[in-house]
Amino acid sequence: MSRELGEEPPSSLRIVRVALAGNPNSGKTSLFNALTGANQHVGNYPGVTVEKRRGTCVRDGVRFEILDLPGSYSLTSYTPEERIAQEEILEGNHDVVVVVVDSNTLNRSLVLLAQVMLTGARPVLSLNMSDEAFRAGQRIDVDKMQVLLGFPVIETVGHRGLGADRLLEAIRKSAITPAERPRVVLGERLDAAILAIRARLGTAVFAPALHGWVAVKLLVGEQAFLDAAERGQEEEAIREALQRRHQIESETGMDISLFVTERFFGFVDGLLKEVVTHRARVDARELSNRIDKVLVNRVVGLPLFALVMFGIFWVTFSVGEAPMGWIEAGFGALGRWVSGWWPDGSSSVIRSLLVDGVIGGVGGVLVFLPNILLLFLGLAFLEDTGYMARAAFLMDRVMHLFGLHGKSFLPMLTGFGCTIPGIMATRTLENERDRLTTMLVLPLIPCGARLPILMLLIPAFFAESWRAPVLWAVYTGGIVLALFLALLLRRSLLRGEDAPFVMELPPYRLPTLRAVVLKMWGRGWLYLRKAGTVILAISLLMWVITAYPKPEQYQVDLEQAAGRLQELDHEQLAAHRAAEDLRYSIAGRLGRTLEPIVAPLGFDWRIVTGMIGAFAAKEVFVAQMGIVYSMGEATNGPETLRAALRRDYPPSVGLALILFLMIGAPCMATVAITRRESGAWKWALLQFGGLTAIAYLVSLVVYQVGRLVS
Amino acid sequence: MAPADPTSTLTGALEDYLETIFLLVRDKGFARVRDIAMAREVKSGSVSPALKRLSEMGLVNYERREYVGLTAEGEREARRVLARHDLLGRFFSEILGMSGEAASREACAMEHSLSAEAMDRLVRFFEFLTICPEMDLHWLEKFHCCTVVQEDVSSCTRVFPGPSKPRVDLREEPKSVTDLVPGREGRIRQVRAQGAVRQRLLDLGLLPEVVVRVERVAPTGDPIWISLQGSHIALRRCEAESVLISEE
Ligand SMILES: Nc1nc2c(ncn2[C@@H]2O[C@H](COP(=O)(O)OP(=O)(O)OP(=O)(O)O)[C@@H](O)[C@H]2O)c(=O)[nH]1
Ligand SMILES: [Mg+2]
Repeated sequence: MSRELGEEPPSSLRIVRVALAGNPNSGKTSLFNALTGANQHVGNYPGVTVEKRRGTCVRDGVRFEILDLPGSYSLTSYTPEERIAQEEILEGNHDVVVVVVDSNTLNRSLVLLAQVMLTGARPVLSLNMSDEAFRAGQRIDVDKMQVLLGFPVIETVGHRGLGADRLLEAIRKSAITPAERPRVVLGERLDAAILAIRARLGTAVFAPALHGWVAVKLLVGEQAFLDAAERGQEEEAIREALQRRHQIESETGMDISLFVTERFFGFVDGLLKEVVTHRARVDARELSNRIDKVLVNRVVGLPLFALVMFGIFWVTFSVGEAPMGWIEAGFGALGRWVSGWWPDGSSSVIRSLLVDGVIGGVGGVLVFLPNILLLFLGLAFLEDTGYMARAAFLMDRVMHLFGLHGKSFLPMLTGFGCTIPGIMATRTLENERDRLTTMLVLPLIPCGARLPILMLLIPAFFAESWRAPVLWAVYTGGIVLALFLALLLRRSLLRGEDAPFVMELPPYRLPTLRAVVLKMWGRGWLYLRKAGTVILAISLLMWVITAYPKPEQYQVDLEQAAGRLQELDHEQLAAHRAAEDLRYSIAGRLGRTLEPIVAPLGFDWRIVTGMIGAFAAKEVFVAQMGIVYSMGEATNGPETLRAALRRDYPPSVGLALILFLMIGAPCMATVAITRRESGAWKWALLQFGGLTAIAYLVSLVVYQVGRLVS
Repeated sequence: MAPADPTSTLTGALEDYLETIFLLVRDKGFARVRDIAMAREVKSGSVSPALKRLSEMGLVNYERREYVGLTAEGEREARRVLARHDLLGRFFSEILGMSGEAASREACAMEHSLSAEAMDRLVRFFEFLTICPEMDLHWLEKFHCCTVVQEDVSSCTRVFPGPSKPRVDLREEPKSVTDLVPGREGRIRQVRAQGAVRQRLLDLGLLPEVVVRVERVAPTGDPIWISLQGSHIALRRCEAESVLISEE
């Protein structure tokens, strides 16, 4: 495939604006990636894309500006993300609208094409997943289809990029040839009604190209269109629509929405009768069905699901251990090597900055890259095979018990990776209350950024044999708490009826190795980039406030001068001074000011400084503990950090700390995204305040009980 | 934010408005303020405050426009009110044997004064009378013959020599998708759901005459997994119940 990425277009370039529309999970994003070379999120379940994404590709002097849209079943708005797609298509800002359909379910997916045709857009049809349909024995006379429809039809295989070239060519052609408006034949009655309503529509509010679609919407009585028509003084058209509707309903005995939908399906049926030369001989889902017999089995379905989840986390932690050790050793060596540039005991600022700030801070975060990669590998596997949709099916009942929705489970699974995309993914929930509930409890799902915290703290405070169970308990605990809080919310602030659960289940698909690796790498790269930018910047800031200001005189020196202290050797003296430095610094003072608040939880000022950092980004906690300890002790490396933590805090503090960081104080980005997605500060603040309060209580109980016991 | 529970604050008059709008929309295709005023036999000016209240409760779409529409919630509410009215009417006519018009009048007078609980119990009682298969319906016939219809009390024992056709119509409940066991197919007859769910089901291809098959049910029995024309869909029983079928 030829595409020139990143090439500056010459000024004579023509620009063609393209939108990719289609049913959910029809492969729009796969095609988008193939066309633009992007690495946007793809997954084998409906509702992966919830935002518009732009990309470009340049070919033969034409610059294609491509817009990937969320999937939608029809142009009738329903969920927030479907509305995005609908608005984009109706606004008509595109030269070409590529309708991407799943060739396995043509009779349904082509309905959207018929609707797009009515909006006056210039369509190009992409028969995607043609590989699967071909294998099942379905054959389509594409040439005949093009003639009948009057615009290009291209068979594509999105995830392999097959047909992408021909698709671009077709887009280019249809953008420059002023094609006649394609005709949709919806049967005598409906066509007559549309014609009659159109004839009465003026051009004041609705663009003439859109009139066909407007007529349909007025006919079915969609409020938004009625309102717009009324504002535009289109009384005649409204009256005509009401009359026609009444007439159709009384003549056919069907309600209007059923009648119109049936007519669209009728149009598609007629078209398919003409162009499908061979119908599928075998069920394309044969293998899928057999797998589902086991995986979604009534008896073993749920246990298997638990096992799969357990397996993913087990792999994340156990397989990740070895490479983690290597990176740890690497950073240790690096730290020592860099230290070696200065004479022993030197108090050079640069050295402290490099060794304590950069290597101690960012290194402490980077160590966990293998675990992050493995976790995302597991999630990618769930997403790309299609098991994720089954998980929603299996878990719906359980989620229902807690006032949630099977589909709420998908954002939660995404939340294991990162809370931010999880919160975005709640857009696929139809019901506003479900959406808010899911959003508010989502930070309780332990995200990838909390993994480093767990990896640091659990081995520090728990014996080898306890680590795995504690880890497991923390994860399940987070989910269970999220569910109970959801129930609480649904019983109090967000009371209301249950939303319906209707969800399409795609067949299993074998992800390509490339897709999985790319996805894992994409996420890994994000983590690296975050470590190299945000985390680095915050670590440096934390380093500055932890290192400065320096006291002019050390208490130790004074005491020694006054003879109140016995002789100290060089090293002891340095340690005393370093400890004083710490306490004297901004971070030290800040921490000690706030210390009384968290003292009942057993936390001291050092932990406080780490928690301040954690608010910026959770990983910073690990970085900051590294900074504090490497400055205070002239030692470094995560293993020694763990030993130091073990020395300074009892296990009850360790557990309280883990719980606090898991439950409380979602990071800055979470607060911001909750504000954006809920549309109100109050929800973001409720989330932050509520979770922090709960975390405080839980940690308080754990620490105080632990103190009593020991 | 959660809207106030409409049922708790809906007064009798507002319920009547809701019902009127529903009937107008159903029969004429639209409801304008003046139609509503006419149907309720009030002045146009007194309609607006009521519509405003209903609109605040999220039951109707009304912002000083001429055309008034019901929201999904409003439609549900209206159906509930209507069903209640209908039921009371049937109680007075079928059980107590009053004339249709009188029964309807009584129903009107009574429906708003009953508490939700009393109404609910009455509904259940009525359902019990009409549906319970073990119920010996003769007593109702006897009741009619003895005290309401016949003045001649002594003849009442002679009227019923054996079982007779019950007067109350025991309509056969149509089958829904949920009645299919996994592996069985049925042909869709009707999709009864309302509003957005209905449109979603239609868009997914659940149309009359289409053959659906229940593939499996979730471990806990809900949701169920159906397939039609190559696509597979999960839906809760509650939604699936609205998809009526006839078994193949
Ligand atoms: N066999 C086959 N699989 C495909 C094809 N195109 C896409 N896929 C797979 O189908 C799944 C869905 O692809 P996406 O690109 O995420 O679909 P989408 O239309 O963007 O989905 P939403 O964003 O949820 O609306 C992924 O698992 C893809 O790998 C194709 O042509 N053939
Ligand atoms: Mg997508």
